[in-house]
Amino acid sequence: MTNNSTVTIEQGDIIVERIFDAPRDLVWQAWTDPKHFMQWWGPQGFTSPLADIDLRVGGKYHLGMTSPDGQQTMYNIGTYTEITPPERLVFTQSMADADGNLVSPASMGMTDMPDETEVIVTLEDVDGKTKLTLRQIGFPESQMTDMAGGGWAQAFEKLAATLS
Amino acid sequence: MANTFQALADPTRRKILDLLREKPRLVGDLVDLLDISQPGVSKQLKVLREVGLVQVRIDAQRRWYELRPDPLIEVDTWLGAYRQLWDARFDRLDTYLSELQRNEKENDE
Repeated sequence: MTNNSTVTIEQGDIIVERIFDAPRDLVWQAWTDPKHFMQWWGPQGFTSPLADIDLRVGGKYHLGMTSPDGQQTMYNIGTYTEITPPERLVFTQSMADADGNLVSPASMGMTDMPDETEVIVTLEDVDGKTKLTLRQIGFPESQMTDMAGGGWAQAFEKLAATLS
Repeated sequence: MANTFQALADPTRRKILDLLREKPRLVGDLVDLLDISQPGVSKQLKVLREVGLVQVRIDAQRRWYELRPDPLIEVDTWLGAYRQLWDARFDRLDTYLSELQRNEKENDE
């Protein structure tokens, strides 16, 4: 298992950072063009029976991914809330069924997951490469944490290093 | 986990956890090191105990405050699941971007 992404948490949000050896425009396309997007979004070996993407502010998407044995298909839906090519993409994400209805994770036994999270993707050009920062928010905890706390991502990493 | 995040959100509580991470402490030690009143320190210790980040060990007359890693392990595991998900996904994006650029080059030649 590789470990090239930096993952931290800040006030209950997940932040993931990674550098890609590709120009920003190409990375943007990979995120926004359905024919590219489904090539990497799903887990290894999964196929995509469905990739409806309406790329505009307020537009929705409905994606499906079928497991390699063909037995299980998982669906996601969401809405695009910000689109600023080639640097910023914001969308919501929920689990769904084949018809595009929202499925609550709680109904599937996942009690620590909210019904909807928001994903913020920012792309930064770094000498022809692209630094991607992804922030996934909407976890219940994030509404409860003290916004003035600050710097507790680092604090948490230090504390986590205590763990044996 | 919500309680753990809440507990970690306060800088003074984080400082207390840092000090306990080094070694168990008495309240008096924490008061001296943090330069906060004893009631203030006791209040924060109470919060930390309530969420299970701190426990007390009584040794003769002394009450030693110790760090409990269990809530942090829970958050770390949760974080680890997301790390794995995004790592794997971004690995595939990385591979895909390389392919795209290779194909572009081949098309140009």
